[in-house]
Amino acid sequence: MSAPAAQRPVRRPRKAWSDVAFNVWGILVMVFLFAPIAVIIVSSFNVGRLLVSWDHFGFDSFLALLAKPAIRDAVWISVQTGFIAALVATALGTLAGIAMARHPGKWVWWFMGLLLLVSVTPEIVDAVALLPWTVFLGQDLGMSIFNDGIVRLVIGHSLFSITVVSYLVRARLVGQEAQLEEASADLYATPTRTFRKVTLPLAMPAVFAGFMLSFTFSLDNTVIAAFVSVSGSTPWPVYVLSALRSGLKPEIAAVSTIMLVLTLIALGLVALVLKRSGDSAADIARTMGGG
Amino acid sequence: MRRRLPGFLLAAPAWAWLAIFFVAPVGMVVWFSFGYKPSIFATQATDKLSFDRYAEVLSPTFFATFQNTLWVGVAGTVLCFLIGLPVAYWMAVKAPPSRRGLLVALVMVPFWTNFLVRTIGWQVILSPEGWISTALQTVGFEPLAILNTRGAVLLGVVYNYLPLMILPLFVAFDRVNGPLREASKDLGAGKWTTFFRITLPLAQPGIIAGVLLVFIPLMGDYITATVLGGAKGNMVGQLVASQFQTAQNWALGSAMAVVLIIVILLTVAIGAGIVWLVTLPIRASHRLVIGAPDTAPASVSIREEVAA
Repeated sequence: MSAPAAQRPVRRPRKAWSDVAFNVWGILVMVFLFAPIAVIIVSSFNVGRLLVSWDHFGFDSFLALLAKPAIRDAVWISVQTGFIAALVATALGTLAGIAMARHPGKWVWWFMGLLLLVSVTPEIVDAVALLPWTVFLGQDLGMSIFNDGIVRLVIGHSLFSITVVSYLVRARLVGQEAQLEEASADLYATPTRTFRKVTLPLAMPAVFAGFMLSFTFSLDNTVIAAFVSVSGSTPWPVYVLSALRSGLKPEIAAVSTIMLVLTLIALGLVALVLKRSGDSAADIARTMGGG
Repeated sequence: MRRRLPGFLLAAPAWAWLAIFFVAPVGMVVWFSFGYKPSIFATQATDKLSFDRYAEVLSPTFFATFQNTLWVGVAGTVLCFLIGLPVAYWMAVKAPPSRRGLLVALVMVPFWTNFLVRTIGWQVILSPEGWISTALQTVGFEPLAILNTRGAVLLGVVYNYLPLMILPLFVAFDRVNGPLREASKDLGAGKWTTFFRITLPLAQPGIIAGVLLVFIPLMGDYITATVLGGAKGNMVGQLVASQFQTAQNWALGSAMAVVLIIVILLTVAIGAGIVWLVTLPIRASHRLVIGAPDTAPASVSIREEVAA
């Protein structure tokens, strides 16, 4: 007996060829999107001198991390920078977003214009602009805080993140009526108390998503980091960039695999929080795509 | 209610931060671009201002790189659009709604993997010692020689920026999906008519967002070209970087950065103009169709939404 022959009589209504074509195309593109990531994950289990040439399977590259303080330091610098940059961007962006949503006026257009300008400026321009600027502030004006590696990285990484957090928080609050805040004021709460007890909790899902996004943006930032970082506080992507010239080792793939897992956990948390606050898949896509 | 402090002061810290760390430094770069490099040991001087650096940027040596970048930028954006549009449509319309969240997550994972690392992944795939090349050689082909060419850069940028095209398009299609498309079908429109007359025009904001989100960062790309491009796949981003890092000519590098921004803005403006002109006859013909009694209400309501 042959299975196809047996199935033919009870065949379901035939799918249109266009639907099949869409499915095939969609799956092909997904494969395309995951190909290099899969290659990196596989390469992290490569035991060999170079990343490019496969030798044999093993966990040596992960073990080698323990013996390489330079890699650990670079990752640690990245994590610290990411955390501080996310804090700065979230604080400034949240205040700005609340101001835009609750105190509209002509100034909002100017401010949105500035945010737009920040988000469309190519990263390389920010990078080459911040290099002489931090040198100017730190050395010519003698503000030694700007000679600190982490401070410079935080400044560079916070710019784009501030715009994202502002957009997110504004979008969240514009969608919700200001009645709660008015009620709170009617019940004799001070403005500060209203802000803390009503406005902030309303904005919280966007604030949280903004924080996580800022953190991942900062971890990912290579271009600005390559320009403003000072020796002694090299973040992880800049370390990889310099390793590119001296030959890529499997350790780099190993760290990338670990960081991918961590990023996925972080993003999963964001999606969970957004879903709990009632967002659809499209809303989450909009949020994650940065507005 | 509150008279003591105007509310917009909440945004003051962000204003100040962006003014000090964005407006001022970028302004400084614009200022540098009118200066010159006085000696081997100095990076720039601005005691004599001129447009000489801009003339230098437009000289044949550097102009070729600008042309190359513009080519990669336009071709990359068009490819992203052609590849991404069916995917976004599939995710928003064809795929079962229960799977949508998963698909969105799948598109986002590469988007949130380190940019540099995924580009290195392509370097591994495309390298002459890689799997594909080895497989090709065993079947009797030449080793893969795409790495360090413009083709590799194009592949890299399409890969890197594709999610930025798919996500806004998905959001746009997701919004259109539903009653309006059904109404169009009920009124006797076929699949293609519905797509071109209803879905695509209503998805316009998403299309614009996607094209801009891909084109702008792509033009300033530095990493993809560095990892995959080699000498042949040179882009303006690298040129600017090298002026600041190795050549130490900040005046020339600044002028390049400014020209890059101007080129991006001009291309966007020209592109918008072309789209406007090309769709002019189509829009005109649609306007005629509105006059027909049976489709009038639907078309009018759609037009209103497009305007809104």
